[in-house]
Amino acid sequence: MPNRKTIEKPLPPVIENMEDWPIYKTYNNEEEFLEKVKSYVLKNSSWMTVESGKLREELKNILYQEKIRLTKTPWKSDDPKEKLFWSGIKKQIRSVKSIENKGDTAEIDEKILDEIIDFYTKEMVANFKPSSFRFAQKALPYVYSRLINSFPQILFKVFSSVDKLYDRMKIQGDIDHIRKLQEMGTIVVVPTHYSNLDSPTIGLSLNNLGLPAFTYGAGVNLFTIKALSNFMHNMGAYKVDRRRKHRLYIETLKSYSTIALTKDVNSLFYPGGSRSHSGELEEKLKLGLLGTVIDAQRINLKDGNGKKIFIIPATLNYHYVLEAKKLIEHHLKDQGKEQYLEDENTNTYGLLKRTYKVITSNPGMTISFAPAMDVFGNRVDEDGNSISAVGKEVKVADYFKLNGKIVRDVQRDSQYTQILGERILQEFKENTVVLSSNLVAFVAFQIIRKRFKQFSVFEILGLPQDETKIAELEFKIGIDHVRDRLKVLEREDKILLSEELELPTEELMISGIEKVGSSHPKYVLKKNKKGEISTQSMKLLYYYHNKLSSYGLEDYV
Amino acid sequence: MKKVGVIGTGNFGLALANLLALNCEVLIYARREEIANKINTEREHKGQTINEKVRATNNIEEIATDCKLLFPIVPSSNFKEMLEKFNPFLNPEHILIHGTKGLHIEKDINEVEELNKTEVLTMSELILRETSVVRVGCIAGPNLAKELSNKEIAGTVIASRYNEVVREGKKALNSSIFRVYGSNQVLGVELASVLKNYIAIAAGMLEGLGYGDNSKALLITRGMAEMVFFGKAFGASEKAFMGLAGIGDLMATCNSKLSRNFRVGYNLAKGKSIDEILEDLSEVAEGIKTVKVVKLLAGYGFNSPLADALHKVIYEDWEIKQGLDYVMNLPVSDDTDFFSSN
Repeated sequence: MPNRKTIEKPLPPVIENMEDWPIYKTYNNEEEFLEKVKSYVLKNSSWMTVESGKLREELKNILYQEKIRLTKTPWKSDDPKEKLFWSGIKKQIRSVKSIENKGDTAEIDEKILDEIIDFYTKEMVANFKPSSFRFAQKALPYVYSRLINSFPQILFKVFSSVDKLYDRMKIQGDIDHIRKLQEMGTIVVVPTHYSNLDSPTIGLSLNNLGLPAFTYGAGVNLFTIKALSNFMHNMGAYKVDRRRKHRLYIETLKSYSTIALTKDVNSLFYPGGSRSHSGELEEKLKLGLLGTVIDAQRINLKDGNGKKIFIIPATLNYHYVLEAKKLIEHHLKDQGKEQYLEDENTNTYGLLKRTYKVITSNPGMTISFAPAMDVFGNRVDEDGNSISAVGKEVKVADYFKLNGKIVRDVQRDSQYTQILGERILQEFKENTVVLSSNLVAFVAFQIIRKRFKQFSVFEILGLPQDETKIAELEFKIGIDHVRDRLKVLEREDKILLSEELELPTEELMISGIEKVGSSHPKYVLKKNKKGEISTQSMKLLYYYHNKLSSYGLEDYV
Repeated sequence: MKKVGVIGTGNFGLALANLLALNCEVLIYARREEIANKINTEREHKGQTINEKVRATNNIEEIATDCKLLFPIVPSSNFKEMLEKFNPFLNPEHILIHGTKGLHIEKDINEVEELNKTEVLTMSELILRETSVVRVGCIAGPNLAKELSNKEIAGTVIASRYNEVVREGKKALNSSIFRVYGSNQVLGVELASVLKNYIAIAAGMLEGLGYGDNSKALLITRGMAEMVFFGKAFGASEKAFMGLAGIGDLMATCNSKLSRNFRVGYNLAKGKSIDEILEDLSEVAEGIKTVKVVKLLAGYGFNSPLADALHKVIYEDWEIKQGLDYVMNLPVSDDTDFFSSN
C-alpha cells in the first residue's frame, strides 16, 4: 500500500553532488550524447535509406517543409541563421542532381542527412548548469512563496515566510518510495496538463522531493528572450518545434528522449499533449514521446546498465486556471480539432507575466504523485520489483523476449505504449484531488443542468443569469450528496479528497465559492444576501465542473 | 522453431497439435494423467492418430517452462479454472493463442435476467485479466477437427493486436495443408467464432426440417448480418466477419454434420429433447450457451431475431416451426444493412 504523505519542506537531495547527477554528466558531455542520438536516428531511419532514391526524395521533402515553415509560419524564436543553413542544403541537393548521371550519389545524400540531423540535435539539445540550478533553487521558493502568499494588497511585503508556501502548495504522494526508486533507476514524471503554470509548479515540486533535475521538452516559442532562454536551456529544457511534423524530425526528437533516458536522465512528459481545453481529465493520451520509455527500458536491459525506468503520474489540482476562459471557449468552438493555442504571442515573457498573475491570485494548489509504475504500467514494490495486476512479480525483460532473447519490435512497443497510456489515465483519475472549488462547481452546474433537462450543453451555457440562480438549501443538499459519494469513491481508491472536504457543509460551500476560478474578471460563483448562488459565466462554471465529469456523480445531485 | 504447447486434449486441441507437429516439437497438456499416458503410449486419442513429434504431459510447470508459445484449446466453461492453474507459471514472455469459441460470463446465466457488457469476456480478455501474459491472440476459422485430423486442406486466421503474435503463430502452424492468415481484429474474430455457433444450430434445424439450399443461404447471410450487429455493439469492426472466422466458419459449420452445434439443431428438428441431445454429445456445444448470453445482452439494442427465435425454441418450449414463423414474419430491412456505410 502506498504510504502517502504531504511534504512540509524541501527534502535533502537524493544525490548530493550535482556533478554526479545524470543530467549534468550527460549534457556536460554533449558531443558524445549527440553522436549517440544521431546514430540512433540513423539506425531507425532505414525506411529512407534502404530503398534507392528514397533518401533523396525524403531530403527534398524535408527541405520543402522547412521552407514552408520558415515562410508561412515564422516565429520570433526562429534563428536568423537557419535560412542560411537550409539554402546550403538546397545547394547541396542541387549539386547532387547535376552529378546524378555520373555515378552513385548515395554517399552525398547520406552526408546531407547527417548534416540535417546534426542541425536538429544541436538546436534541440539542453544543458545543465549547476550554478543556474542552484540559483533557481535558492531564488524560486522565495519568489514563489512571496507570490503565492501575497494577495495584491501585501504583494510588496518583502519578507514572507517560505514555510507559508506549503499552506498553499501541497505536494502529496508516496514521497519516500519515489526517493528510494531514484536511487535504483530513472524517474519519468507524467503530469496532467491544465495550465501554463504546470511547468514551474511541477519543477518546484520535483526539486522539493530532492530528486536530481529533470530534462523536458519545451516549445521553441518559449525561447524568445535571450537571458531567460539561456536560463531554461541551462535548466535541462530541450527545444521542441511543433511546427515540424515530418518523420525525420519526430524520429530525432524520439531518439533524443530515448538516449537521454538510457543515460539515466530523469525526464518529464505531458502525455496529454496540449493543455486540457475542457477542464476535463485527459481521456486520451497523445503518447508521442511516452513510447521512448519503453524503447529506453529495452536498451537498458539489452545493451546497457539494466537500470529500471519508473513512471510516476502526477495530477495538478488548481482552484483557478488563468487560461480557463480561453481554453473552454476554444473547446466549445472547435471540438475535436487539434490546434495549439500557443502561438507567436505565447513567448517566455508572456508566460512569466501570466504565471505571475496566476500565482499572485491563486488560492492554492495540490500536486499529487501517484504510486510508481514500471514502463508497462505495473505497480512497483518497495524494492522496485514489478508486480502485475494479478499480484505476481514479473520481470520487465520478459516483455521484450521472443524465444528467450530480448528483441526490438516497434509494433509491439506501440501496443505497450497504449497499455501504459491507459494505466496513466487510470492513475490520473484515481489520484485526482477533489478541492472545494471542484465540488461546488460540479454541483452548481449539475443543478442547473437538471433544471433544463431537455436542453443541450450549448443551450444551457447560453441561459440568462436569472435562470441559473440556485437556492442555498438545494445547493447544500447537492454538496452533501456528492461529497458522500466522493467519500465512497475515496474508500474504493478511485479518487482523493482534500482536507477541505471534511469541513462542515456551510464552510465547505463558502470556501469553494470563494476559491473557484477566484480571479476571473467575472465571478464563477457567488452567494448574494438572499442566499442565492449565481454565476456570471456559465462557460467557466462548466469548465471547472468538468474536472469531476468522469466519475459518474451526476445522479447524486 | 522451439517447442510449442497445446493446452487441452479435445478434438480440436489434438488436431492442432498434429498440425503444429508438421513444423515443430509439440507438448500437449492433458488435465488427467491417464490421458497423457494414453497419448504417449498408444499414440491415439479420440480417434485421432497422434504425430510422433507430439508428447503429452500432465505437468503444468513443464509445459509452461518448455513452451513460450501456447495454444489453449479448452471449453469456455473450464477456461478460467485452467488459467488459475497455469497462472503461477505464466509470465510476460509467454505468447498465448487460444482456440476457444465461447465467452466467459461472470454470473450464472441461469440465475440472471440480464447481463452487463462488463460481465461478458472473450477468452483473450480473460487471459489478460487473470494472468501476467500480455501477448495474446486467438485462432479461429472453418476448422472442423475431424477434417483437420484427416489432413484435408484447410485455412484459419490468427488474430492479435501484436503482429509478433500473428507472426509466431503462422511460423508454427502454416504448412502446405494448412494456410494461416493474420488479422489484428481480435475482438471481431473472437466474436465471429462464438456467434456462428448458434447460427449453426439454426442451420441444423433447417436441415432437420428438410429445407434446401436456398433456405440455408438465407440463414447464413442474415446470420452473418446478425453477428455483425452484435459485434458492432461490442466495439468490433465488421471486417473480421467477412473473413475466415466469420463467413468462412459459417459456411463450414452450417453445412456439416461434423459440427456439434449443427447436430444439436438437427436433432431438435428430428424431435429429440435438448437434454437428450446434450447427453449424447461428447463435447460442449457452445452455441446453446451463446443463445442465452445474446438474449441476456438484448438491452444493448442490437438486432438479433435468430437468437431470439432460438431462445424461444431451446429455453421456452416453442416448436421449431413457431420460431421459424416468428423470424419469417419480421419486417425486412436493406440487404446489406450491416455495413457501416448503410
